[in-house]
Amino acid sequence: MTKVLGRSELESWLGEIMRERTLVAPRRIDDLVLFTPVQSVDEIAFDFDNTNLSPKEFFFPRTETLFTTVYKDGEVELTPAVIDRETVIFGIRPCDARGIAICDGPYLGDPPDSLWAQHREKTTLIGLACTRPAPQCFCSSMGSAPNDSSNVDILLTEVEDGYAVEVITEKGENLLQGVELKDSDVKPVAPSCDASVPADGIVEAVKKSFDDIYWSRLADRCIHCNICAYVCPTCYCFDIRDYKRGDVIERIRTWESCQSKGFTRIAGGYDPRADKGSRLRQRFCHKLLYFPEQFGPLGCVGCGRCVVACPVNIDIREIISDIQETGAKVGQGSN
Amino acid sequence: MSADNGPRIIGFLCNWCSYAGADMAGTSRISYPSNIRIIRVPCSGRVDPMIIVKCFQEGADAVLVAGCHPGDCHYNEGNYYSRRHFALLRELLDFMGIDKERFRVEWVSASEGKRFSQIVSRFTEDMKKMGSREAV
Amino acid sequence: METEYTKQIRDKARELLENGTVECVIGYETGTDGINARPAFIYDPADVERLVFDNTCSHNLVKYLLNMKGKPTAVVVKGCDSRALNLLLAEKQLQRDNIYVIGVVCPGVVEWGWNKQSDKLQKRCVLCRQHTPLIHDILLGEPVTEEPPPDFTDVAEMEAMSSEERAAFWQEQVERCIRCYACRQACPGCYCIDCFVEQLDPEWVGIRIAPGENLMWNTIRAFHLAGRCVACNECERVCPVNIPLSLLNRKLEQEVLDLFDYRPGMSEDAIAPLITFKKDEKLGIGE
Repeated sequence: MTKVLGRSELESWLGEIMRERTLVAPRRIDDLVLFTPVQSVDEIAFDFDNTNLSPKEFFFPRTETLFTTVYKDGEVELTPAVIDRETVIFGIRPCDARGIAICDGPYLGDPPDSLWAQHREKTTLIGLACTRPAPQCFCSSMGSAPNDSSNVDILLTEVEDGYAVEVITEKGENLLQGVELKDSDVKPVAPSCDASVPADGIVEAVKKSFDDIYWSRLADRCIHCNICAYVCPTCYCFDIRDYKRGDVIERIRTWESCQSKGFTRIAGGYDPRADKGSRLRQRFCHKLLYFPEQFGPLGCVGCGRCVVACPVNIDIREIISDIQETGAKVGQGSN
Repeated sequence: MSADNGPRIIGFLCNWCSYAGADMAGTSRISYPSNIRIIRVPCSGRVDPMIIVKCFQEGADAVLVAGCHPGDCHYNEGNYYSRRHFALLRELLDFMGIDKERFRVEWVSASEGKRFSQIVSRFTEDMKKMGSREAV
Repeated sequence: METEYTKQIRDKARELLENGTVECVIGYETGTDGINARPAFIYDPADVERLVFDNTCSHNLVKYLLNMKGKPTAVVVKGCDSRALNLLLAEKQLQRDNIYVIGVVCPGVVEWGWNKQSDKLQKRCVLCRQHTPLIHDILLGEPVTEEPPPDFTDVAEMEAMSSEERAAFWQEQVERCIRCYACRQACPGCYCIDCFVEQLDPEWVGIRIAPGENLMWNTIRAFHLAGRCVACNECERVCPVNIPLSLLNRKLEQEVLDLFDYRPGMSEDAIAPLITFKKDEKLGIGE
């Protein structure tokens, strides 16, 4: 027996949720689909492949105040940022939910990042399984699946009479309090997603390829913008700076990326990744070698956003295939 | 715009001509509204367009750049360049929704104290009518 | 999709690499969607079969010459790209004698996007006034002799809006900006080693990704391209959140044309309007 929620019941439930909490959902804005807080159910896009930017920004905002300090009466008064409002994200895909869980690795270490931890605690994820993976999707190659429920609190799957509902966590159960679910015979379809990207053994293959001229050649066309890192659900690098206005100093954290020139420049001017090849190699070594060695899973969930967004078609699927093929060929090193 | 005080105008005055002109207004006891906050620069050509945009981004209601009359620049050519830069900047800002009239460039010589005060008075009046802006 | 040009480019590339005239040929190849082109760097004559030229060859390859460290390089250029080359030569960023220019008379490129199949010409191609490369060592295709007059209807449409409407429009756009700097990285006119937005002393903009800073970023970048932008429109194409950047550049392009009768990138000796002046000109400033 499958538990099902009708479409209009779903809409009223979401309407209820947004009264006490911030409801974040996919919204169509011109040609884009973006996760934003919504004020009304009419704003929600229910039929979409995936959003242009990942929902990581509700845990790791593009700009966030960490704390403020005021020097008052000879004392420094520090006020850390506090996340006090509950948030519900509706429509998050299994790949993106996995991305957030992957970022828990670095962010919920010892000690945990206080803001990430607070966002996680205050947020409930209503996942939406994919009924038709898009051409750029390859989650099945990267340890997930279009109906992977591992990292959400509730998983919805579109079926004929509405949405099949799977309650995964206690948080999800609490959110569904008072919501009537129907029993149904309908079976949610589990579609297939691209499982052909050869990610098995990629960690070893990338390690062997470190000195290969492949990276330098690939970087020839890379323009070193930050697009791939910013759209990626598992990229989590940041920059921190203090800003003073009047008596108040604010410490803020923003998105940054290993691709920018100068990301690794240190005092004195030396930059260990000054050349393009090193910087581009870093991104793929991080995702496919260093991260799995440190935390376990590969640092890529197969959402395909980087594939779509890269202005010069640097395609991680192609790179994984190439590295597996060339194996341990040692070339002339980077330029 | 502060509640009682009216529009916030930032003025960039070149040291040799327009700042001296403003001084002359002062020594001649000619008054003009104190809404304008004056910043002295060596030459109008030194005023980087980035500074102007920053003023508007921070919430200035209006910006005035005053320099020597073309041909009389203390550094010979500074104001010829600034004339070109500001002609384009003014159009760009207007295009982005910062009304042309909020950004003015005037040539004021050291002896034009009265004229300086008239320029500022008129500018302040016009900005009162145009209303205030928010910082972005 | 191959065209006449594809074979000619492959043959030329093979010749240049085999006889050592160049160390690298920068052209286009088809990307992983099997539809849209991407930049290709060919070092080995055996690889020239990768090269194609079709109506998805949107990228401006000229900027890559700045990375080649003076090594003799061949590059495929369309009309707009050739203006970028003129710009970089005029600004002394490149040396003419180590570049072999394969000019292509381009009929226009279609909307570009991964896995996107389109017949629709990009806006900048509809408005193109320079189909024939101005600079070339070999020219493929028949030069176009008649070019349409300038058309700034899109700029006029924006100007017809009220000041408040324009402010609201750009407020919405700058809220979307994520400061990925793809626009800057793709732009041939943006080659400063230390971009103003990364300067720390003074810190003009700051790292905050927020409307105020984003407004500063987009406005000043557009201004720094005044009299220099060659309308290749790569900035708008690469933007991941579809900000209509071309509007800003085209507004300035129109002003520069009206005030100074100047079009950027038309010759390798041109002097940009903002680094010169005419003593008696009337520009509506201070009058």
